[in-house]
Amino acid sequence: MGSLDPTFEAAASVDGEMVVLDLRPVEFVEPAGLCGLAALLEFLTPRASIVGVRLAGHNVPAYLERMNFFRIFGHRIETNVDVESLEERRRGNPGTLQELVNFHSEEEIPGIINRISEILENKEYRLRERAAICATLSEICSNAVEHGHSPFGAYAAVQAYQHIVSGPRSRGERRGEEVLVAIADGGVGVRETLSRNPDYAKFTETDNDALRHALKMGVSGTGEVGRGGGLAVVGQISARAGGSLSLRSASGRVTYYGDRTSSRNVSDFPGTFVRVSLPRKADA
Amino acid sequence: MISLKTVRIGSVAEEAGPLARVVYDVASGDVGGAGGKLMVTRGTGRRVREALVEALEDLPAGGVLYVDTRGVELMDYSFADEALGILASRVAAGEYGDRRVVLVEEDRELLENVEASLRQRGLAMVRVDEPGGAPGIVGEVPDHLVETLHAIHVAGSITNADLAAKLGLNHTAMNNRATRLFKLGLIHRRKNTAAPGGRQYSYERIV
Repeated sequence: MGSLDPTFEAAASVDGEMVVLDLRPVEFVEPAGLCGLAALLEFLTPRASIVGVRLAGHNVPAYLERMNFFRIFGHRIETNVDVESLEERRRGNPGTLQELVNFHSEEEIPGIINRISEILENKEYRLRERAAICATLSEICSNAVEHGHSPFGAYAAVQAYQHIVSGPRSRGERRGEEVLVAIADGGVGVRETLSRNPDYAKFTETDNDALRHALKMGVSGTGEVGRGGGLAVVGQISARAGGSLSLRSASGRVTYYGDRTSSRNVSDFPGTFVRVSLPRKADA
Repeated sequence: MISLKTVRIGSVAEEAGPLARVVYDVASGDVGGAGGKLMVTRGTGRRVREALVEALEDLPAGGVLYVDTRGVELMDYSFADEALGILASRVAAGEYGDRRVVLVEEDRELLENVEASLRQRGLAMVRVDEPGGAPGIVGEVPDHLVETLHAIHVAGSITNADLAAKLGLNHTAMNNRATRLFKLGLIHRRKNTAAPGGRQYSYERIV
């Protein structure tokens, strides 16, 4: 996602010209990058006469094809990729849990959750693992449609990776799996949403202040009792799994690990971006 | 991390009173088809709550609605708050008279979101593993109120004076405690106007 930063900056000044995204140096894309790319294209296509996307090698184009990227954006971009040949060679990827999906309303979320739950069940994920992944996805999707209104709605994707999973330091590292959930919307962002609540004035002086505050239980733009619990619960789920929850909105980026929270200033992101890592230990 | 505090308040030896009891199975959507195994989003929660309210309002005064979520595989926070948190809040506010709601659920992770919602709202619900099972509490109840609730559940029905004697409190303190439980929707309360010395309350367990 961070590798797209210069492009977001440059995209803000595009005014009707043709733009080419040169992604040929990119060797690996995960759901976060995919959702970030989708948000970038939504930001760019209304501003540019034509958007070109250049890719190299086989792995990245094949991944984008498997994740439905070309099905969603193929007609809106020009690309050097022979998409038809990728479609012919398309194979089910055991790690794909949710291809890139675009949604606009809360009514679409149960369908997305039902589908991923079925996939997880077929892949023999335990009930508590399914519940953690589905609850994570449903809460951040709900936040996106409730607070992130934009013409393009929001994009989400979920992928599982087999690799070495870092556990608590005392237990070292073990082979396992990591499920990555990502979502991007083009809404007003976390700081502006929370600023609607005058009680949060001192917590919304910067984007990072607002993101840190948004992670607390019960913090919401409306201040209504019972609201503002979803993100806090996602943070708890990821921390319990030994993973992390990253939020990015405007110039802020905050990552929550359960026992600590890190933040830094980043290039402006036009909306809100969420990435959740849920390690799945082999012996869990 | 949400602390899942489910407090046992003692088993009930016999069925309490001839009050109407209805079980709503959320997974099957007993009423109006509002239900399923994967309960997510506030919109879904709202529909289930509306179905629960319909079932609750159909009950006679003093009736108890058992909300059975045992068949639900996933309940996210948004759903839990919209369906159960708001419902508990309205029961506590007296919107449904002295009708009460009891959660039927085992002690498992799914309860965490119900717990989180109720704690956010400073509320609690009576929970049983199965209809007729031993009652517990999910949500926010201070220890001294759990003690009072336990005493009422053991007695089944008890006057303020007897309860005060049992717990070694004066009548006013006892009444204050029991009133808080009543206002949380965790017990029934009856006014005995013919009591010696004038008005006196008696309290009854709801399961």
